[in-house]
Amino acid sequence: MNFFKELTRGIIKENPIFVIVLGMCPTLAVTTSVENALGMGLAATFVLICSNIMISLIKDVTPASIRIPVYIVVIAAFVSIVDMMMAAYLPALHKSLGLFIPLIAVNCIILGRAEAYASKNNVVMSIADAIGMGLGFTLSLSVVASIREIIGAGTWLNMRVTPASYDPMLIAILAPGAFITLGFLMAIMSMIKEKK
Amino acid sequence: MGYLGEIFVMAMTAIFIQNFVLSRFLGLCPYLGVSKKLDSALGMGLAVIFVMTLASAFTFLMNRYLLMPYNMEYLQTIAFILIIAALVQFVEMVVQKNAPALYNALGVYLPLITTNCAVLGVAILNTSLFRSDGVTPYTFLDSTLNGFFSGVGFTVVLLAMAGIRMRLEKSELPKSMRGMPIALILAGIMALAFYGFVGFKI
Amino acid sequence: MKYYLKLGFVLLIFCAGASGILAYVNSLTTPIIAARKAQDEINAREKLIPGAIFEERESADGDSYFIARDESEQIIGFVFIAAENGYSSKIQTMVGIDADFDIIGIEILDQGETPGLGANCLNESFSAQFAQKDALGLKVDKDDGEIVALSGATITSRTIVNSVRTRANSLKAELETGGEQ
Repeated sequence: MNFFKELTRGIIKENPIFVIVLGMCPTLAVTTSVENALGMGLAATFVLICSNIMISLIKDVTPASIRIPVYIVVIAAFVSIVDMMMAAYLPALHKSLGLFIPLIAVNCIILGRAEAYASKNNVVMSIADAIGMGLGFTLSLSVVASIREIIGAGTWLNMRVTPASYDPMLIAILAPGAFITLGFLMAIMSMIKEKK
Repeated sequence: MGYLGEIFVMAMTAIFIQNFVLSRFLGLCPYLGVSKKLDSALGMGLAVIFVMTLASAFTFLMNRYLLMPYNMEYLQTIAFILIIAALVQFVEMVVQKNAPALYNALGVYLPLITTNCAVLGVAILNTSLFRSDGVTPYTFLDSTLNGFFSGVGFTVVLLAMAGIRMRLEKSELPKSMRGMPIALILAGIMALAFYGFVGFKI
Repeated sequence: MKYYLKLGFVLLIFCAGASGILAYVNSLTTPIIAARKAQDEINAREKLIPGAIFEERESADGDSYFIARDESEQIIGFVFIAAENGYSSKIQTMVGIDADFDIIGIEILDQGETPGLGANCLNESFSAQFAQKDALGLKVDKDDGEIVALSGATITSRTIVNSVRTRANSLKAELETGGEQ
């Protein structure tokens, strides 16, 4: 029961992007296509799960005063592993995410969860938290990316979804479109919240 | 083109053409979080310029003389993060001890910078950038200057954003638009304006 | 003092452990990445001039190119890689040309240009334009040439076209001086 509560919390109530507003850089930068968004979301989820497990395991042996550097080392190590694995097995995705793979290491969501959750809870709960937060992150990225890809390229997951007469509005997959799409999405979110 | 020309190209690219925030999407958290007031934006901007310049210099040395000779580029992420974290910590201590006035202005922003992706971003980018001839990789001085100008680029848009947001406080907005949504849309319009520079390749 | 030594020691252990694991993963993935890259190049060559027998040659300036021969050892073309910095990345283009330096086809191997603009160079409609064009005089339409540049991505298009032309010309010079032996 409790496990599932932790799991769903990150997806809706404490959604890292729309509610807590963390991890903005990848949200805007890699959401040019749904494929990229899923790749980034799953890579970050993997790092989040691994680092949460590791940190909740070592929380008792790390002296409090150097816990942040230790967490950073743990997270950066997992990020590098993901980086190399992606280069080996998913080279096209690795190329299009580019700089933002190493930057997962400084994504505030991951260090934030390590500090706020994994360092205080046991392994099982930390995994639930990581999966919830990771899926929440992936889901939000996919929503932003779906809107941008459909408007800006007329496709969804590289499949054509708009009629041939629709001329894609390129602006949506360029930098300004990223900000504006996310801005309106957040406005809608806060409108829904007000209604409740 | 002489070296001065090279520096000019670098500055224009980092500040306007490939602005860190609006075109490369780096450093967005402070850009959206610390842009509510002009003076705190200025403090953050100066702290970022300071740390980015130093971080570019140190990570360049680390990369060129430690990681590259021993084929250990796979340690790049971890090494750079540690350097930046240590650097921020060290700068904080030095500033606190020797320049209390500066510490009062920058102090609260320094710890935030460790997880500012713009700093790690510029460090990683520096390892793969070339001068305008497309052949010569960045030297020590190039990297340091690029870090400095990228920080300036960040500060310029941060200040512009803070200026606009301060005026926005007084305007009547739909309730759901207040705060983050309108800030993002503003950022979008700014990015649109900066898109006018795209394509200028000096 | 002892306390600080302990802190340093703990941190050191974590760093050492992390480096060890990373070194191991790196040793696993490096050969895979290299093999995949080599395989990609072989596939791209095969796609450009199907059924040919390729022979690698080193040119004087250190770049390598491939001579494509048919079964009867007759030279039917050349394959080379042109690389130059585009708008935001290094673009690598593999080019297949016939013995008269007319382009058979091109294949973008590697690029990191802006999605929606420069990254459209991967589209079939862009690369198809290159077929049958003379590699030695290749130019984009803005420079009074035949290749229609991608909309919004003149720099990317020009980089690809110019890098192909430059490499083709240097290959021609190379073949004329040293290719006889």
